Amino acid sequence: MAASDGKELTMSRAMVDAIAHEMRESDDVFVMGEDIADYGGIFDSTQGLLDEFDRDRIMDVPISETAFLGAAVGAAQSGMRPIAELMFVDFFGVAMDQIYNQMAKNTYMSGGSVSVPMVLMTAVGGTYNDAAQHSQTLYGTFAHLPGMKVVVPSTAYDAKGLMHAAIRDDDPVVFMFHKRLMGIGWMPAPEGPKTAVPDEDYTVEFGEADVKREGDDVTVVTLGLHVHRAIEAAEDLADEVDVEVVDLRSLVPLDTETIVESVSKTGRLVVVDEDYRSFGVSGEIIARAAENGLSDLTAVERVTMPDTPIPYARPLEQEVNPGTDDIIEAVRSVNDE
Amino acid sequence: MSEDLVPVDSAAVWPEDAQDVTEAIVANWFVREGSDVEEGDTIAEIQIEKVSVDVPAPATGELVERLVDETEEFERGDALARIRPA
Repeated sequence: MAASDGKELTMSRAMVDAIAHEMRESDDVFVMGEDIADYGGIFDSTQGLLDEFDRDRIMDVPISETAFLGAAVGAAQSGMRPIAELMFVDFFGVAMDQIYNQMAKNTYMSGGSVSVPMVLMTAVGGTYNDAAQHSQTLYGTFAHLPGMKVVVPSTAYDAKGLMHAAIRDDDPVVFMFHKRLMGIGWMPAPEGPKTAVPDEDYTVEFGEADVKREGDDVTVVTLGLHVHRAIEAAEDLADEVDVEVVDLRSLVPLDTETIVESVSKTGRLVVVDEDYRSFGVSGEIIARAAENGLSDLTAVERVTMPDTPIPYARPLEQEVNPGTDDIIEAVRSVNDE
Repeated sequence: MSEDLVPVDSAAVWPEDAQDVTEAIVANWFVREGSDVEEGDTIAEIQIEKVSVDVPAPATGELVERLVDETEEFERGDALARIRPA
């Protein structure tokens, strides 16, 4: 059945589609992680793969991030194409040497004699009251450290295309998926991430931002879950402000050109990021816009998490996590300047 | 007209080990009303407590009506949708 018939996939199924396809194409592709086999990934990122592939290729591992991410780096350097799932991005700390000193740098440190073609797949984001050690996005942390490509899908279509591209890439790719976009029963997704997805394989190239909604008055640059919040805000504001929504889709490489083009049209920029405010994506986007088109900039605002651990209590988390209302307020504010 | 429609019976996909549970939610629809489906295609996903279960189309034809919305609760045995066989 063609996708145009109206068949739609959740983001998790779209990712699994891409992984299964690449595993059928090449025996070098395999998945390892905590609860990724029998359980199918706690956010459904590997659901159903064990039905088709054996346990040598869909591999549950003990709680041992340093060991299994290190094993993935070694397998990648030896010519395989591992996909290793770090269950929550927040757990990167215990394995940072493997991620940052080995996975990200070994190509450089070896003078190019080895490459590390692995995917580090990890769940990010809050909004479901899971406290400070299970709710971060940390986009900026991984994008800041050189050597890793970093991708962040917001729709099922993009997730499948980015996953195909990530597995085929000869460099390490960090694939950061927001839990609330996956389509899990107990954590309903907003309108938007479930999209028509072609059955066949295709790639979404890294470094190509997507204008998810066109507009002339204010540019909103964002990624992941907040693409959908920004679109909702834009629709609410449609009678008073014409908002353009730019979905970055990848942070490394970053599509500066699309951002600058949009800002040169609108002159007003709002950056929305579920990551912390300081030293992160929001500051980087504003810096690039300023470096490349300062004279076009009339007004700038950023809507982010404050620089504080993410609260467990529902009302407190809702208060700090950027909501549609916060985006509306920021858009109105820059539009009035 | 309606007697020709094939119901998508939720009881048909209820797991053996969840027979004492009587309620579930529709987690996801993958097919819009008015779309064509083939017998065996996964058309929806339901969640029974913490277990996700795929719902295959019982017949080839057009999915004319969804009877339960996403995130809405239903009882075992409720029809989830109706298909007009091709």
